[in-house]
Amino acid sequence: MNQLHSAFTLFLSLLVEAMPFLLLGVILSSCLLFLIDEKQLITRLPTNPLLGSVVGSCIGFLFPVCECGNIPVARRLLLKGVSPSVAISFLLAAPTINPIVIWSTWVAFGNQPQIVVFRVLFSLLIATIVGCVFSTQKDARLLLQTSFARRFNPSIYSPSENTEENTEEKSPLLQSGSFILDEGQVLPLNNSLLLDVAQSRLSLKSKRQSFIDNLLQEFSELGGMLVLGSAIAAIIQVFVPREFILNLGQDTITSILAMMLLAVIVSICSTVDSFFALSFAATFTSGSLLAFLVFGPTIDIKSIGLMASIFKPKIIVYIFTLVAQLTFIFTLTYSYFF
Amino acid sequence: MIPANSRKSNSNKHKNTLLCPWLDGLALLTWGSLLLKYAVTGQYKLLIHPNYYGLVLASSIILLVLGSFKIQLILTRSRQHPSEHIALFPPGFSSSLLICVAIAGLLIPPKILTSQNALKTGVRDIPLTRSQPQSFRTATKPEERSLIEWIRTINAYPEPDAYQGQLAKVSGFVLHLEELPDNYLMLSRFVITCCAVDAYPIGIPVKLATSRHTYPPDTWLEIQGTMIAETLPVQGGVDSKTSMKKRSVVLAAQSIKSIPIPADPYNYK
Repeated sequence: MNQLHSAFTLFLSLLVEAMPFLLLGVILSSCLLFLIDEKQLITRLPTNPLLGSVVGSCIGFLFPVCECGNIPVARRLLLKGVSPSVAISFLLAAPTINPIVIWSTWVAFGNQPQIVVFRVLFSLLIATIVGCVFSTQKDARLLLQTSFARRFNPSIYSPSENTEENTEEKSPLLQSGSFILDEGQVLPLNNSLLLDVAQSRLSLKSKRQSFIDNLLQEFSELGGMLVLGSAIAAIIQVFVPREFILNLGQDTITSILAMMLLAVIVSICSTVDSFFALSFAATFTSGSLLAFLVFGPTIDIKSIGLMASIFKPKIIVYIFTLVAQLTFIFTLTYSYFF
Repeated sequence: MIPANSRKSNSNKHKNTLLCPWLDGLALLTWGSLLLKYAVTGQYKLLIHPNYYGLVLASSIILLVLGSFKIQLILTRSRQHPSEHIALFPPGFSSSLLICVAIAGLLIPPKILTSQNALKTGVRDIPLTRSQPQSFRTATKPEERSLIEWIRTINAYPEPDAYQGQLAKVSGFVLHLEELPDNYLMLSRFVITCCAVDAYPIGIPVKLATSRHTYPPDTWLEIQGTMIAETLPVQGGVDSKTSMKKRSVVLAAQSIKSIPIPADPYNYK
């Protein structure tokens, strides 16, 4: 009973610390839903793959949302014609490279500033590298889920140079080539674009309405995730035998692998995951905490489901294998220097 | 934006549209009240670093305002249009979970961490604070230093013999360490960097005239005495079972007073 009460106290402490940041993240993400004009953003994106990936990673600064919020944003970007490699960089980097997450990491790990710096640095590097890798594939159809690709407006594609014959090729919807479009002058024909256009024409009152709706929806859903994640953290800290955690956490390699696995299982929101990681700070190597903080935001069980609605399963496997390997290599290197 | 599967489940969502907005509103209100309660009663000090008091208070107010706004919306708007959303949880689940936790939090007060937690979170690191001391206050008289100030001082200049004969008056809770002889106890306090989850214990070994069993673990004591240097056994590295000996600063107790648990039992960094 005593133990249970301690676990409950730790659980509450995680929640009370994380709640303000969650609220802040949700409020900002709802604001930016209206403040940022994605069309303008797209026209300014560089076409060079490397630059595109770097910029894609940094767009996160404009969309301070965690992984749960940025997949819809990535979908919107793709639908508006951003190339998949830029979208991938955005997906991987945005959850970490944004002001709220950096601030909350700073609050949690202010006494170990190198963790904050390297979290940002490694996420940026990984997102850029993976983005570059995927920019070598010019044919977006091979990356995107067929049903998703089909929803593109045919007229936003430049004429295809692809002459291979297959049944789908005849469908004008799949005429593909480059995604860098010549301005969305066309009237979008699919549902989601109609939705966006409709949204931008909303009156101020209904804008406020949907601002509140979006805010409440994100808050309650992410709050639920946060509750589950904190419960797991508190239970592990109080009930799992200390020797077990210590043995796992002191070894350089197993601690990194264990924390990466935990990152996948816990699926906690990046806005608050640093507080979660903090509960392991006493027993785990800082390299492994970094692995958790870098790997966690890019992947979790929930985001796989969401990503499956955009990318082909094979591509998702590629992305995550790459990210996992890069995270492992980077954090292992880090643990040899710090 | 509208995935096919979520459109299919629209009909199911309709059933919940009456209840869900209420749950969302209630989740905001209960969490707002919970945070407000912590801020007003000072219990937040048991959970997080006092630096974040402002954040907690502001969030509680925002949550209460949003919650009332939401409830007002439900009352004025006759019909809710179901929102399209990719959700992992069934609608309403998340809000219900938040409400349950908030109510539990309102009913059950947070518990002060005890020696049990201290032994669990690795008291073996004593007397190492996790980060470098930010300030080294030589101005403080030895007998006015708090426990954490002593630890900081010792960390900044880890030469036990330098503190011989200095007067000390510190308070903390009793911790029994197996490796110490029977007439020694640890006088400890938890230090919080960010929130209770990262609380770690610091402590000074105290030499008693009697057996430590006179003072059961978790008793709060105020001890006056002089500092001496002694070689004490310490638990070796975390995984090695062998104990090593280490010269450490020890407080030789002269007067021991039992005190009630202070209002702010933790030290903060």
